[in-house]
Amino acid sequence: MASAFTVLRRLYLFIYNWIVFIGWFQVLFLALKTLKESGHEHVYNAVEKPLLLAQSAAVLEILHGLIGLVRSPVSTTLPQIGSRLYLTWGILWSFPEIRTHVLVTSLVISWAITEIIRYSFFGMKEAFGFAPSWHLWLRYSTFLVLYPTGISSEVGLIYFTLPYIKASEKYCIRMPNKWNFSFDYLNAAILALGIYVPGSPHMYRYMLGQRKRALSKSKKE
Amino acid sequence: MKVTLVSRSGREFIKGGLELNDSATVADLQEAIHKRTKKFYPSRQRLTLPVPSGSRERPVVLNYKKNLKDYCDGNENSLTLVFKDLGPQVSYRTLFFFEYLGPLILYPAFYYFPVYKFFGYEEKRVIHPVQTYALYYWCFHYFKRIMETFFVHRFSHATSPLSNVFRNCAYYWSFGSYIAYYVNHPLYTPVGDLQMKIGFGFGVVCQLANFYCHIILKNLRSPDGSGGYQIPRGFLFNIVTCANYTTEIYQWLGFNIATQTVAGYVFLVVATSIMTNWALAKHRRLKKLFDGKDGRPKYPRSSSAFSHCLLRDFGCLVSRRSAIACSETLVASSAGAQPLLSPRLWLPRRRSAYSIVLYC
Repeated sequence: MASAFTVLRRLYLFIYNWIVFIGWFQVLFLALKTLKESGHEHVYNAVEKPLLLAQSAAVLEILHGLIGLVRSPVSTTLPQIGSRLYLTWGILWSFPEIRTHVLVTSLVISWAITEIIRYSFFGMKEAFGFAPSWHLWLRYSTFLVLYPTGISSEVGLIYFTLPYIKASEKYCIRMPNKWNFSFDYLNAAILALGIYVPGSPHMYRYMLGQRKRALSKSKKE
Repeated sequence: MKVTLVSRSGREFIKGGLELNDSATVADLQEAIHKRTKKFYPSRQRLTLPVPSGSRERPVVLNYKKNLKDYCDGNENSLTLVFKDLGPQVSYRTLFFFEYLGPLILYPAFYYFPVYKFFGYEEKRVIHPVQTYALYYWCFHYFKRIMETFFVHRFSHATSPLSNVFRNCAYYWSFGSYIAYYVNHPLYTPVGDLQMKIGFGFGVVCQLANFYCHIILKNLRSPDGSGGYQIPRGFLFNIVTCANYTTEIYQWLGFNIATQTVAGYVFLVVATSIMTNWALAKHRRLKKLFDGKDGRPKYPRSSSAFSHCLLRDFGCLVSRRSAIACSETLVASSAGAQPLLSPRLWLPRRRSAYSIVLYC
């Protein structure tokens, strides 16, 4: 009985990881293609559909962690996915004015490369029970460059969108109202920028720790 | 006797160990350690019996009042203990005072001072009665808490880590400001008069009940804080283990019914989940401690029913009061409730773990 669940779990994770992998592969391919052919202003329009789908699918990963399907701690997946969803839906999708910015290209490419490596890595592990050492090395080394480029792109994009957020009043709830509640999207965005200050070193250090553990473990084997 | 102290990594903590009288208490040992190490005053020390490696058991923490002899099993002349530094400590009174001081000062600041100017609102002073009552209610609540901290509560552990000061103050001061901002806002929309009266009335009743719960808890312990854990009895404690948390939660509910802000309700949800966790832990602890063996009384059995009520969504677990009769605890309980079933059935009285009581 228990093994039936294990098989089902592996099958599900296998399918999940490879489907999302294909999504991100599309993103990278279209991004590079559009960059070459038309320039960075058009990259978002080309990658929008696979980007929205692949990034939103990541919400399932929080579920996986919660129900114990995977071992990742919710404490690091939540901020990671939170920032991704915020950028994808709360900035890029909500404020078209920012879509032509060059940082969109760097963002999308950083994300895509990271995710392609990550999802294929987990896809391999679910399928074959292991992944080749070069794959492991890629998974735990590319973040050294891609985290800084990705995070800088995220921070930069949020910052450059601020004037548009202020002008549009989107997602704002104003007083007076029956529930005496207010929400100011501009202040929330500034707060989000503030969170990056302690948040980025925390995530980077976490990945460095993961890297040390993963690579030393493979050396022992 | 010779006491060897090791750190949790196995290294010897004090070279050569310490020599103590055979009749020495743990407190004497702590003093000796403090003399040798200057930095580690007794409340910073955590001394435990070594646990065999691989064992999942929780280590036994030494009680400062007991004799060292009580912890030697067999070998009367030497004892090995594990030392852990708990970090800089503050007394609970200090901790509570500062965390409650924030809300007591910050809330009136939003009421009396023209702070909303800095948020871009022109300062027009039309104050609704409910805002004034809310101020009195809020300040009374935190004033009461501070008074209880100094004159009522008897703490089982004298100290708390220093880092808790920052964490707890951040929690209380932030939420205090967050709620104060909205209740005293120039564009605040008051609720109807009846709703306000019901909210505050209910809240005041719960605050008084809460105070009475604290008095009951205080009387379980002697003035120097010794007495450890006791079974609370009487009043609402016959129904729930942590009636003090129950009344506290309902008291905030009263405040929110009267003032109706999302900020207030968010605070209610967070505070409730925190207190529910504490209540569960305390209930478990008391059940484990009062197992009926060795002359200890047996803790009234808890209701296992997770009642299906809407408060479940808050993460609060609601209990159904299963009124069953006839145990010595029932007879001993000061509430003196009557058994509802025939004594022949002899079922132990049930008591709920959960800090919320709702009669479904």
